[in-house]
Amino acid sequence: MIPQEAKRELAAIVGPKGYLDRDEDLALYEYDGGVDMARPEMVVFPQTSEQVAAIARITAKYGIPMVGRGAGTGLSGGAIACQGGVMISFARMNRILEIDLENERAVVQPGVVNLDISLAVDADGYFYAPDPSSQKACTIGGNVAENAGGPHTLAYGVTTNHVLGLECVLPDGSVFTTGGKEVDLPGYDLTGLLTGSEGTMALVTKVVVRLMRKPEAVQTLLAVYDDPEDCGRTVAEITARAITPVAIEMMDGVLLRMVEEATHAGYPMDAAAVLLIEVEGLKEATEEQVEQIREACLGCGAREVRMARSPEERDLLWKGRKNAFGAVGRVSPSFVVQDGMVPRAKIPSTLRFIRQVSERYGLLISNIFHAGDGNMHPIILFNKRRPGELQKALRAGEEILEHCVAEGGSITGEHGVGIEKLALMRVQFSEDSIECMVRLKRLFDPEERLNPGKLYPTHKGCLEIRQPALRPGAILY
Amino acid sequence: METLRPKSIDELAEALREAAGGGKRIRLGGNFTKNRMGGPSPAPDVVISTCELRRIVEYDPRDLTISVEAGLPFAELERIAGEHKQMAPLDPPFYAGATVGGVVAANTNGPRRRLYGACRDLVIGMKFVTLEGKLVSSGGMVVKNAAGLDMAKLMVGSMGTLAAIAVVNFRLAPRPPASRTYASSFSTLAEAFAARDALLRSPLQPVAIDLLNPAAAARIGRQGYLLVVQVGGSEAVMERYARELGRAAVEGESEAELWRRIREFTPEFLAAHPQGAILRISSTLSGLKQVMGAISAPIVARAGTGVGYAYLDDAEQAARTLADATERGWKAVMEFLPEKPPAGLVPWPAPGDDFAIMEKIKRMFDPGHLLNPGRLYGRL
Ligand SMILES: Cc1cc2nc3c(=O)[nH]c(=O)nc-3n(C[C@H](O)[C@H](O)[C@H](O)COP(=O)(O)OP(=O)(O)OC[C@H]3O[C@@H](n4cnc5c(N)ncnc54)[C@H](O)[C@@H]3O)c2cc1C
Repeated sequence: MIPQEAKRELAAIVGPKGYLDRDEDLALYEYDGGVDMARPEMVVFPQTSEQVAAIARITAKYGIPMVGRGAGTGLSGGAIACQGGVMISFARMNRILEIDLENERAVVQPGVVNLDISLAVDADGYFYAPDPSSQKACTIGGNVAENAGGPHTLAYGVTTNHVLGLECVLPDGSVFTTGGKEVDLPGYDLTGLLTGSEGTMALVTKVVVRLMRKPEAVQTLLAVYDDPEDCGRTVAEITARAITPVAIEMMDGVLLRMVEEATHAGYPMDAAAVLLIEVEGLKEATEEQVEQIREACLGCGAREVRMARSPEERDLLWKGRKNAFGAVGRVSPSFVVQDGMVPRAKIPSTLRFIRQVSERYGLLISNIFHAGDGNMHPIILFNKRRPGELQKALRAGEEILEHCVAEGGSITGEHGVGIEKLALMRVQFSEDSIECMVRLKRLFDPEERLNPGKLYPTHKGCLEIRQPALRPGAILY
Repeated sequence: METLRPKSIDELAEALREAAGGGKRIRLGGNFTKNRMGGPSPAPDVVISTCELRRIVEYDPRDLTISVEAGLPFAELERIAGEHKQMAPLDPPFYAGATVGGVVAANTNGPRRRLYGACRDLVIGMKFVTLEGKLVSSGGMVVKNAAGLDMAKLMVGSMGTLAAIAVVNFRLAPRPPASRTYASSFSTLAEAFAARDALLRSPLQPVAIDLLNPAAAARIGRQGYLLVVQVGGSEAVMERYARELGRAAVEGESEAELWRRIREFTPEFLAAHPQGAILRISSTLSGLKQVMGAISAPIVARAGTGVGYAYLDDAEQAARTLADATERGWKAVMEFLPEKPPAGLVPWPAPGDDFAIMEKIKRMFDPGHLLNPGRLYGRL
């Protein structure tokens, strides 16, 4: 419980309009699209790094837990206050502080929405490369915490490859900066360590990102298949031809039909799977690559390859992909999604395994994923009114992730461990590896007050307080 | 002095645990090609080399990833990937002798980082052994990973001051079918930067953009401000570059030889100058103009990245240039030291406000300050 005195001190920092503490308001902050729910006792909306530091000092004084929050799209339970305490929303720290095109950098506050960076520099011919499918909503602070990826990270790399410096506040309120606009600074790469640490080591209050020059040409293809495993073979064939598309996205038939009904993107309703493939670069390069990719697709069993002939056609092809989850929600309000990684060559066998799991559990599982880098997103649909079905769906998901690890992959490629995958950390990492992570975390947060109960499978986990989000009518994702 | 060359990761763990347990000061390395790099380190009680750990742990070319032990020579890694028309395009100096672990621990990289990134971008997973003899793993064999802390990032550039890198996993890139290099001389710095700026603002995507000042160009038999630009792709793409950048490109052997001279500039300079030193100045694309304008000693710059290497003939000159650079607010270190460094030399003059955390990390891994003490630019 936050003592009244502490509440008053916190309120004084952010002002009367800078916090929420009424139960009905707090309810909006108990959820991040994942399975778990927990309500903070107070949400504060700082506007400056100094305010964040002042808030941290007060929580230190009273021993109150803290959790940072961006847009709350994290899906793995990372942004919920599973031990109560104060939630620090970065919604009002949403300014782009500097755009430095000459040096291919921007400096932003953590609450800036991912897409807004690209929009701000679009007219000048630049963009910010990591593009999570949630990019219209998710924040850079959340991206840094999760080391977010996206469809186009296949060629360009993920958040950690594009974040060069941070300003951070430690749980005791002290402030430090890492990295900067420059690269190869001496010392340990704290920027790299903090990126992907799921908001458990420090609150990020400023981010230096890399900007890239927009490519002159983009070509987008849709390849249609009667057998999903042929998609996996196509990915291998494209790699073998030394082509690096910027994106290779796969959707299976189940998903395709849901998406088509919702978006009318023009996808074939009878297909077993499609690949959405994009190449970018010099005109000469993309023209050739598109030809080679078409050959690869047809050679691997595609029955048809369509090409977007205009930006409008391209947008239409992407529209289905980008709205996929919304489309699933129309059909089945309850689903869990995983984001396991497998080495590219293991995609066909993993798809087979997922089908077996689906049959064994009697649950519909549809697949949409970043096929180019082996990032599977099985969507497990279930009926939350049937007793035990949520547990069954969760168990099916875990089995799929265990398979990913056994194939040499990982339990998560983008969404992070959060609360959801705590138990699976031990499947992937040895005790010694986990211990090393925990000790590092404690160097930053010795009292374990910052985003407690996440990422590290220690005894202080949140699992025992797990309260699945089962509000009637709620979208479970 | 005794040098231990463990033949397995278990033996490495045993060697570290035993040495640390006995309070021995350890010098850790691969082939020790970069002994002058980093900082003056006191004489060790025991030397541990990973050079006998040279297995390819896993390589399926279809995945564009490879896992190798730390002692594998980097050149060998490149040769094996090359057989499948793939590459780990880090271009580290000391190419012939350097081990994978040494390249990563020293964070050495080269010209093609403009397009492909540096160690921190190409390393996707790692196993390292702590002084307690524990094997810790981070990341994996997939190109994207959000599970657990990315501890491999700590090891990249750590100069062996935290733990011993045992296995490194890289993402590889397909080798472009053709490659060309354009080397143009300019008589003034302003002209050279104007040409670079035009390139950066164009939609062209060079693999490498290096700039040598006249003193550096002279050392490789060239003159003026030398802008060296490498491009890669299909023949149609090469045609496009020819239209945009002119016909004066080199390819094949002479292209490889030019880049070899640039890549090996550092080792060749050090061999010729026992009391010489090299500064690494981390700047920005625009800041590099000031850096190159202010220093007349040879400079090789990654002009598409913002890092400049300045080559100073003797320790005194190096110390003066470092002090001057720091005075101007540049982020500089003395990357390579004179063979006999002057007393009191501090290779890393101005650590930032994150240094206290770095010290804590060092203490966590190495409370007795036994592992490569001082090797991280005299500070850690
Ligand atoms: C429809 C949909 C599609 C998605 N697609 C992708 C995708 O393609 N790729 C991908 O990678 N992810 C994807 N995600 C997951 C999610 O959008 C990303 O993880 C995103 O980075 C989360 O950002 P956020 O602002 O919503 O963070 P939140 O959910 O608010 O927080 C996530 C974590 O970050 C921490 N945090 C937030 N801000 C800070 C800060 N300033 N300092 C310290 N810690 C902080 C929180 O404490 C929490 O642990 C998708 C999600 C949805 C709902």
